[in-house]
Amino acid sequence: MSFTRMMEGNEAAAWGARLSRAEVVPAYPITPQTEVISHIATFIAEGKMKAQYIKVEGEHTAMAAAVGASVAGARVFTASASQGIAYMEEALWMPPGRRLPIVMCMVNRALAPIGGLRPDHNDSLMQRDNGWIQLYCENSQEVLDTIIMAYRIGEDRRVYLPVASCYDGYFVSATATPTTVPDQVEVDEFLPPYVHEMYSLMPETYRPRPFEMNIAKARYEVQQAHERAKVVIEEVDVEYSKRFSRGYDGLLEEYACDDVDAVLMTMGSMTGTARDVVDEMQASGKRIGLLKLRGFRPFPTEELQGLAKRFHAIGVVDRNTSYGSAGGGIVSMEVARALYPLEDRPLLLNFHVGLGGSDVTMRQIGYMADKTLEAVETGRVEKAVDWVELVDLGEVM
Amino acid sequence: MSQIIRAFRPTVDKDKCVKCGNCQTYCPEGTVMLRDGEEVVFDYRFCKGCGVCANECPVDAISMVKEA
Amino acid sequence: MEINRQFDEYYENSYIQGGTACCPGCGGPLFWRMTLEALGPKTIIYGDGPCAYCAIRNIKLPNFGIHFSFVADGSTGILAALAAKGREDITVVSSGGDGAIGDISFGKVSAAAERNENMIQICVDNEAYMNTGIQKSGLTPFGAWTTTTPLGKETPKKEIPLIIAQHRVPYVATTSVAYPRDLQAKLKKASGIQGFKYLHTVIPCPTGWRFDPAKSVEVVRLGVETWVWPLYEIEGGVLRVTLKPKQRPVEDYLKAQNRFRHLSDDQIKFIQSETDTRRQRLLENDGKRIIL
Repeated sequence: MSFTRMMEGNEAAAWGARLSRAEVVPAYPITPQTEVISHIATFIAEGKMKAQYIKVEGEHTAMAAAVGASVAGARVFTASASQGIAYMEEALWMPPGRRLPIVMCMVNRALAPIGGLRPDHNDSLMQRDNGWIQLYCENSQEVLDTIIMAYRIGEDRRVYLPVASCYDGYFVSATATPTTVPDQVEVDEFLPPYVHEMYSLMPETYRPRPFEMNIAKARYEVQQAHERAKVVIEEVDVEYSKRFSRGYDGLLEEYACDDVDAVLMTMGSMTGTARDVVDEMQASGKRIGLLKLRGFRPFPTEELQGLAKRFHAIGVVDRNTSYGSAGGGIVSMEVARALYPLEDRPLLLNFHVGLGGSDVTMRQIGYMADKTLEAVETGRVEKAVDWVELVDLGEVM
Repeated sequence: MSQIIRAFRPTVDKDKCVKCGNCQTYCPEGTVMLRDGEEVVFDYRFCKGCGVCANECPVDAISMVKEA
Repeated sequence: MEINRQFDEYYENSYIQGGTACCPGCGGPLFWRMTLEALGPKTIIYGDGPCAYCAIRNIKLPNFGIHFSFVADGSTGILAALAAKGREDITVVSSGGDGAIGDISFGKVSAAAERNENMIQICVDNEAYMNTGIQKSGLTPFGAWTTTTPLGKETPKKEIPLIIAQHRVPYVATTSVAYPRDLQAKLKKASGIQGFKYLHTVIPCPTGWRFDPAKSVEVVRLGVETWVWPLYEIEGGVLRVTLKPKQRPVEDYLKAQNRFRHLSDDQIKFIQSETDTRRQRLLENDGKRIIL
């Protein structure tokens, strides 16, 4: 029976795992993810969820156990954050390379040192090269829905890739918002049981993983899976929205972009605040829109190239740092590469804000929007990389 | 197809052999067979010439001879 | 050729294909051949990491590995998946070398023991990181030459079987390829027990221990006969010494391997007295509870 109530992101994630009928859950606590695994433990203890719960001794082990269970044919769910993701890094390269559709939550938290417990995106973005699909969720509802969709996406035979549902610690993980939990029967119809066609570890049907001697070829295959995933993610989103009346526009969402000169691009929980700011600004006549980057991997290059023709400037917001980079934050560099081949490119501005999980305020978003519009007016970018938190904007809020 | 290269290969003196099966038991590669419990044979496709069979034979029936 | 066909048929009935990439005389493939014979086909093997993998690659039974920093981890996951699927009839074997279990995966093995995971954890101990060219590990014995201890290892070998036994697991045993009946009996026993089973086996390494490959089985036999490698089991915390050979002087064992060539008389005396103590303690506690 479907129901709606106030729910924190971590509880919503646990519901996502429960409704997806995850069979094996390696569990290790780390702030701000801990409630995900403690809710799952409660579900299992109450007999509401049937899963093997492995209380591992560290994240390095958690991901290896996930790999073993997935190879042996079980649907796996796990979660981590920050230092835990860094600790399991070695193991994180296994699922994409071995084509294992594990789903995990990366509950974003800044990495030490110069970090803390609050969120920024370096911990998940640090994993951008190893082949995990990364979807960034704005609120509890999206977390729950994304996890269910993630299994459909990852287990699709055109894909066979692991999927990370990334969401901000505290702002999503521990903030209660109205969340609708779909009916189990409906979810079962949407998500069939996990079957891996490429190999089996059971003695009766043992099929060793096909071993590709040519490394370039093997890696190219993973890359091709990402290309196909772009299509699958859209398909799954459409089907989900038909069935459950909630959709997320796949990898990239346009918000109020119909008649604008410039857009801001945000990722994660700050998108919610940005929607309000954009509404306010449009009401006062400012021609600024919002792009929500939901899928960081695979990066929606073609889709972005198609949209970009309509705007004269794009302000990319990076809740991360990449010291010594070619210019600015990680998302802006991906956007720059995506837009580079266009003959008529929009101006590109890059903003660092919310680092270490500091609040991204309406005033800061307004500032970033104004700067982007200014670039349209003057025809040039005053500051290519703007560390917004170092600018004195007067009173916060 | 990779090939095994040996310096020495085992040969058995059938008169000395007491068919104890030690050679078959202790060959690290499992390439020595006491066929039908009667005759000791070697799989020279995979034998590495390590000499354990010769060393474990209680009656010194196996000798390691230089490969041609 | 007829003989080739007969051998192919012979390999058909064996769980490991002859002709591994291991060094000539390596005890690894020998260990696996004996072990798999004892365990049977309903087995999944988990294990990776250097030397062991040269033999595991030739195993025909379902096998899977990650890296040697993940000993017991992947197998924990495999067990969970089998439980989820209701396949508790399959034996899960996790294998790691001495570098893995003694050093980089030490915590993993301890944790799996604490969780009492239903696997047979095997340590294939050739007493150093051999695949990278003979470097010292926590399980390299005192005095042994390696490339990182060219003057001989200064510290003693970690006693992993006793450490694991103290985790209160149901079964711990030491085995040797020179005593196949003892090895196979212990494996069969382990596969019939629920919970975490730990089997520590010495794997002779002609390349790293520096001896003629032909002496491979003879060297480990000497290890057992000198009580450097005692054969025992600890079942439910109770010790049972499974072989009580007449003690030979350790010198016989040490002189058989060039990695101990540089040992002084004092060092040999020290090793002898340590070995005597070990033998004495084991015999004193034979049949008794040996853990706290």
